[in-house]
Amino acid sequence: MANEPVGVLIIGAGASGAAFAWSIADTGASVLCLEQGPWMHQKDYPTNFMDWETRAMGPFATNPNVRGLAQDYPVNDSESPIQPLMFNAVGGSTILWAAHFPRFTPGDFRVKTDDGVADDWPISYETLEPFYAVNDRMMGVSGLAGDPAYPPHQPPLPPLPLGETGNIVARGFERLGWHWWPSDSAITSTEYNGRAPCINLGSCGSGCSQGAKASTDITYWPVAERKGVQLRTNCRVKEITVRPDGMADGVLYYDADGVLQEQKAEIVVLACNGIGTPRLLLNSKSTRYPDGLANSSGLVGKNLMHHPYALIRGIFDEPLHGRAGPGGCTFWSHQFYKTDPSHGFVRGYSYEGTRGMGPATTALWGMATGKVPWGEGHHVAFDRLNGHTAGMVGITEDLPDEANTVTLDPELTDSNGIPAPKVTYTLSENSRKQLAHAVERGTEALLAAGAIETYSEPLIKTAGWHLMGTARMGTDPKRSVVNEWGRAHDVKNLFIIDGSIFVTSAGVNPTSTIQALALYIADRIKQNMRNLFD
Amino acid sequence: MTMNTNPLADMAFMRAFLDTVIPPGRDGRMPGAGTLGLEGGISTAVESDARSGSLVRAGLAALAEAAASTGEAGGFPALDPAHRAKVLDDVLAEHPMLVNAVARHLYLAYYQHPTVLVAIGEPARPPFPEGFTVEPTDPELLAKLVSRQK
Repeated sequence: MANEPVGVLIIGAGASGAAFAWSIADTGASVLCLEQGPWMHQKDYPTNFMDWETRAMGPFATNPNVRGLAQDYPVNDSESPIQPLMFNAVGGSTILWAAHFPRFTPGDFRVKTDDGVADDWPISYETLEPFYAVNDRMMGVSGLAGDPAYPPHQPPLPPLPLGETGNIVARGFERLGWHWWPSDSAITSTEYNGRAPCINLGSCGSGCSQGAKASTDITYWPVAERKGVQLRTNCRVKEITVRPDGMADGVLYYDADGVLQEQKAEIVVLACNGIGTPRLLLNSKSTRYPDGLANSSGLVGKNLMHHPYALIRGIFDEPLHGRAGPGGCTFWSHQFYKTDPSHGFVRGYSYEGTRGMGPATTALWGMATGKVPWGEGHHVAFDRLNGHTAGMVGITEDLPDEANTVTLDPELTDSNGIPAPKVTYTLSENSRKQLAHAVERGTEALLAAGAIETYSEPLIKTAGWHLMGTARMGTDPKRSVVNEWGRAHDVKNLFIIDGSIFVTSAGVNPTSTIQALALYIADRIKQNMRNLFD
Repeated sequence: MTMNTNPLADMAFMRAFLDTVIPPGRDGRMPGAGTLGLEGGISTAVESDARSGSLVRAGLAALAEAAASTGEAGGFPALDPAHRAKVLDDVLAEHPMLVNAVARHLYLAYYQHPTVLVAIGEPARPPFPEGFTVEPTDPELLAKLVSRQK
């Protein structure tokens, strides 16, 4: 079935697709977004219910293989020590993210120049700076200006309170003389643009019932729709079609009833994340593009980067009430962010302060770590943990490696029969050293903070949030998939705007940069309208 | 209970088992898990747990058998708490995942029960819409940050 052709067709309504749609609507072109998931509703999020911790582990689990919802596609992660996480809905993974919102630093865009590894980006921090600022305003970012680790910028809202969990760990950093700073958080600390302030529900990771956490279904999308953007939900794209001249022609997609539809467009924009985007390109094989679309470099699906995470948690005598408040938004530290020869690895990592856990999660964690036994000693051991934990995660910079890939699984498919992705990933020795360092020094910080006991995991398996690098940007078509403004080298009316186009990963959460890139690419398209396909 | 009975369907047995995994607190503050009416839900959850349901069934059957072998006519529920714990501990040598597999469900049910929430000092309500209060940033820490602002 054919639909009315559109000017701009965006695939994916998450962090980048929403930002791009909002911006590109200024052109007056007809803009359509196809999203494989539904609209979410705040009344359905777990914190509306007594069993919120159970719901957060089931239909709101971060792993699509655990959720197994109709809008999810399975990911074969059997050859990866890190499980990829994502959410499929209007808002994408911002529905379940922590909203910790650091920018990349200027040095993150020139790692080859500074450290002789990987590649420099074809753009700089300065290129993205105005788009970071626009995005901060659209998402509603709370923070404290003046962090010496960054160029000056002013978050539009005052910082969130650290709470006792943040205060106690920050004091440890102070005692060691280490850098720390309250997080920029995409969570409203005061009323902002019709959004109520955070009321510390403590379960950002399963959706914000208050609407204080920025997910793009409540930030960009309402405005984009008012500007005329069409959003079709429960529509899963099967493949991008091409014209005889090799340009993108549109897509074939399954609608909510499972009926195959055709949608033609003048421009196709991919915003499906670092796994979904290469999956779709590889599923878009044709006579002209037998290895998948935009893949003359052979790099589609290669150079997958995560941020390998280490967990460092302390148990304190003091009651910290840590189950309340945004779990991943207290402070960050760039103390070990840059290359230092004495560390024994290149590049570095940031710390992200974390609060406590809900009671049931505390008990389960206590069981898994052997800290809470069954039987006679159960209650005393539980009381020692519950409300008494605080800590951090170390977010390490993963360097690109062509051996880390997203490919098509030969057997696994989604509910529409579309081949599913397979992730093949090996943790590098450099990352392993970073993680070990993060554990060692993070433990030192927690002990300095007064922890009576510490716990660590040198690699969190269930932390594959950040999916990057699988359709990298660059100026050389032989060594990159898209150019310096997101246009595919091979297909000049095909753009990619998600984390796939990252050249390197930095050692911080990527969403702020993903959205700034999407806004930047939309801006470049607007500026280059007359010769867009030259 | 006879050894041919499915222990997951024997609610008296299940209550005793849950009360052994999470017994009442000595000071009376915390209820035993067998006193909260959780046994039916836990049995259902375990029965439908593809990963460990069969392990639990086998483990509970072994527990019932071990309790019967003590000579106590009433089986596991009739044993005193200390004796139950000893029998369970012995069974774990052959069925090491029994408690953990049940506790995956039990801890969720127990620590979201209103009675338990109140006992541990939490309000017996969902987080939304009332939310929670978080302590402000320590003014001394904030002053140090302000002095370093770039």
